[in-house]
Amino acid sequence: MNKPKNHIAPPKLAQRLLKWFLKNELAEEVLGDLDEKFYKTLESKSERKAKRNYWYQVKNYIRPFALKRTKVNYSNTIGMYRHFLKISWRGMLRNKVFSTIKIGGFSIGIAACILISLFTLHELDYDKHYENSDRIFRIANEYRGENYFGRWTNMQGPFKEVLEEHLPDINQLARVVKWKWGNVGENHIRKVESKQNIYEEGFFYADPELLSILEIPMVYGNQSDALASPNSIVISEKMAKKYFPGENPMGRQLILNDNAASTYTVGGVMEDFPITSHLQGEFIMTLFERTEGPGVSDWCCSNYDFYVKLLPNTNKEQVEQKLIDIRDTYVIDLLTEAGNNEIDEIQNYQSYYLQPVSDIYLNEAEIGDHIPHGSIYAVWVFSAIAVVILVLACLNFINLSTAKSIKRAKEVGLRKVVGSFRSGLIRQFLAESIFFSMISIFIGLLLAWGALPYFNDLADKQLTIPFQSVNFILLLVLAGFVIGAVSGVYPAFYLSRFKPVEVLKGSFSRSTKASFFRSGMVVFQFATTIVLIIAALVTHQQFDHYMNKSLGYEKEQVINILGINTLPEQRRELLKEELLRLPNIQSATLGDYLPVSGSRMTNYGFSLDGSSDIDPGFEAARWIIDEDYLATMSMELSTGSNFNPDLTNENSIIINESMAEAFHLEDPIGTRLVDMFDGKYNVIGVVKDFYFESLTADIRPLTMVYGRGQSTLSIKLSSTEMENTLEAVENKWSEFQPNQPLRYTFLDQRFEEMYRSFQRARNIFLIFSLLSIIVASLGLFALSAFIIEQRNKEVSVRKVLGASTSGIFNLLAKDFVKLVLIATLLAIPLGWYLMQAFLQDLANRITLSWEVFAVATIGALLIALLTISYESIKAALANPVKTLRSE
Amino acid sequence: MKETRLGDFEETLLLLVGILEKEAYAFKIAEEFESQTKRSTSIGAVHSTLNRLSDKGFLTSEMGAATAERGGRRKRIYSITASGQRALQDSRDFKLSLWKQFPAFAGDLNFSA
Repeated sequence: MNKPKNHIAPPKLAQRLLKWFLKNELAEEVLGDLDEKFYKTLESKSERKAKRNYWYQVKNYIRPFALKRTKVNYSNTIGMYRHFLKISWRGMLRNKVFSTIKIGGFSIGIAACILISLFTLHELDYDKHYENSDRIFRIANEYRGENYFGRWTNMQGPFKEVLEEHLPDINQLARVVKWKWGNVGENHIRKVESKQNIYEEGFFYADPELLSILEIPMVYGNQSDALASPNSIVISEKMAKKYFPGENPMGRQLILNDNAASTYTVGGVMEDFPITSHLQGEFIMTLFERTEGPGVSDWCCSNYDFYVKLLPNTNKEQVEQKLIDIRDTYVIDLLTEAGNNEIDEIQNYQSYYLQPVSDIYLNEAEIGDHIPHGSIYAVWVFSAIAVVILVLACLNFINLSTAKSIKRAKEVGLRKVVGSFRSGLIRQFLAESIFFSMISIFIGLLLAWGALPYFNDLADKQLTIPFQSVNFILLLVLAGFVIGAVSGVYPAFYLSRFKPVEVLKGSFSRSTKASFFRSGMVVFQFATTIVLIIAALVTHQQFDHYMNKSLGYEKEQVINILGINTLPEQRRELLKEELLRLPNIQSATLGDYLPVSGSRMTNYGFSLDGSSDIDPGFEAARWIIDEDYLATMSMELSTGSNFNPDLTNENSIIINESMAEAFHLEDPIGTRLVDMFDGKYNVIGVVKDFYFESLTADIRPLTMVYGRGQSTLSIKLSSTEMENTLEAVENKWSEFQPNQPLRYTFLDQRFEEMYRSFQRARNIFLIFSLLSIIVASLGLFALSAFIIEQRNKEVSVRKVLGASTSGIFNLLAKDFVKLVLIATLLAIPLGWYLMQAFLQDLANRITLSWEVFAVATIGALLIALLTISYESIKAALANPVKTLRSE
Repeated sequence: MKETRLGDFEETLLLLVGILEKEAYAFKIAEEFESQTKRSTSIGAVHSTLNRLSDKGFLTSEMGAATAERGGRRKRIYSITASGQRALQDSRDFKLSLWKQFPAFAGDLNFSA
């Protein structure tokens, strides 16, 4: 026997494993045998082989005769839980109303929760799909003045070259134009070989680098050169299928707005933007070597959003600091050269901010840009509502479980007598509540599935329930366990505490503590319900207020004919005159600027000629209108005159009252204004303030200069007779542009569109307050049924002694009304506070009126009374003999 | 009722227990099995079968002495019971009677051939 191998021992882990599964009484002999085998093997073979053999031997001990006896235990537990489930099931069937309420309320809560979670997760899922998402940023300006703080994305075009030259941390940089400039937005498009103009949306401009910065996957072409030649365009896969079905569109030519002089060449086809991308669109036009419009503007104007991809391991803060350094060393000189007179202000107050791409959609930094955003507040409010409804449903569950306590008390007593431990009873009640919550989750899932289309409508989303996702199903099951356990804990401990002797003797009485707890829950449920009703009413009032607000112009009976930019200029004029000849058309105007969102928007810096008082950062909207615009929109001049087509209007300007006020003009007519390009104007008129942007903000200064719109012609009808007029307009249009269908909008509809989000918020509050009312009244109904059942004998005795039906009803209802009143007292201040906070940031807000609170209170009271009256009246009308006979 | 017939592996092990006498414990039996039959097995398989034979009443066992090789652990020594011996005998007799009925060898049994 060779000694040296003596120090080697069998593998510890294998031994531990063996001891873990092996019967204790076998441990000694088996371990001994295996040791002997091990050392025997070691004599002839290597250590590794011996150890492997040991593992092999251990593995071969996994045989029924050698395993610890867990199986007997196991089947016992299964039996026990099977018994629990059977008891739960029987209990459920015995109290059908109770169970329906319990499960129904729970399911509603869970359905609401599932829907809202889908929404929240979707909102949080934006822009998470980039491989290098931590290196992709958007540059924003930050202004931190004494009275003003703001962030916005627009920067000057030539910044690109400066940054590319002096900031090596930037790997790639691309400018994007998303606001209405050039061909951004909607256009009429056709293939070169076709005559038919087709209306499409989703155009924007970008530098060639954008494709690789945002890692946009390409179907045809490649990221690096798809946009790298002049007049190239990248179209989405969807559009490629529509215009070039079954062929490779690379190199094909597209014509925008009938402008055959400049065609666009398809340089690539990209996959459609995922729904969770902040940037959406179907056509990307290149900014590369453009000769006019987007792409050529100089240091004068901030027209571009800047997207950058930093080099790996670059520090965001350092780059921000370097941006400021570059501003001071290079940009300031260039700006001065370009005649910018705000240099000091820029140096003192302005800095740069890098916004991570995944933050763009929810835009917590409140950066001004031109793309639609989700709202982090909506995410919070929605989640809060979901949690509240779920809590209400859980409380219902707790409430109903404890309310049934007398019925279960005997069961508990008997179980204890035959030897059940309290821990066993707790386990039973927990299992029961998890059982209920699982059923509810299942029904809730079905409800959510059924309600999803309506919810999508409400939230303006395309959500789907991820049934195929294993994680989702597991999450639901887990949620079922957690919710069931949480809402089962209190009833379990409460019910399992009963003393068998008292219960079985019948001297058992309900503890006042429990009824206090129950009352508290009713108060909480109704308080939340009232708050939600208040929220729904207030948002409704605010929405109504906006819709009926006098705007300073008339939005009714105005039709905007769109897409006339495919006509040559003189033909547009002719169209206007021809339309005016139609009966029923009162006036017409060529103007692209409309007082609703989604139309053209330009801002200029303005100052008073010869005065330095005015803040150099002053900006006003600048509209181009013709002489018929004010009449068509029914806008009024407070002083001065309109443009006169017979005079030269080149240097004339009309301003609004807010502008006059901002410049402190007592007598504005004849005042001289200078714009940022040194254009000088004479004020010829002041238009009364009208809301040309959202009503949620105050009216900004506005200027109007003379000119003609290129793409929009608005007509005002003299009567409400729409159909014939529209038909006449359509006929006229097809004479002018036979290859393009007439496209028009109604101004009042576009106005309403601006308040969609408000409408949505109102609908959401309405629906969820309705849900919470349902849940709360279900709870109250069951509770009243229970309490009245307990007081049955009392009621009968009173009736025998001569109490009237109404007297008994009062007696029974009094308690509940008291609870609802307490809830009201709590809810009104809370609702007032929350609504005040909500309204605070809005211009044109309504004042909170007492009526709202009165309606909410009375509503809640009525609902409560209705809910309890069924059982109360039944009790009051019941024949006392029936109840008392058994005594 | 317990199954009292012997399988091939069971029969071999039973015989080995008889051969090894005082050294008949799982490890030794497994070793002996491997060296005599040139077939490999595991101690677990042997142990499991010994256990089954004990259940059938063919084997009995008791804890034997501890040795240093086993880390001071005792071993379980198996020995054949009377019914175990009878089962072996029955098995042998049964096979012999079958052999005798085999026409090619009938009346001319020569096991040494």
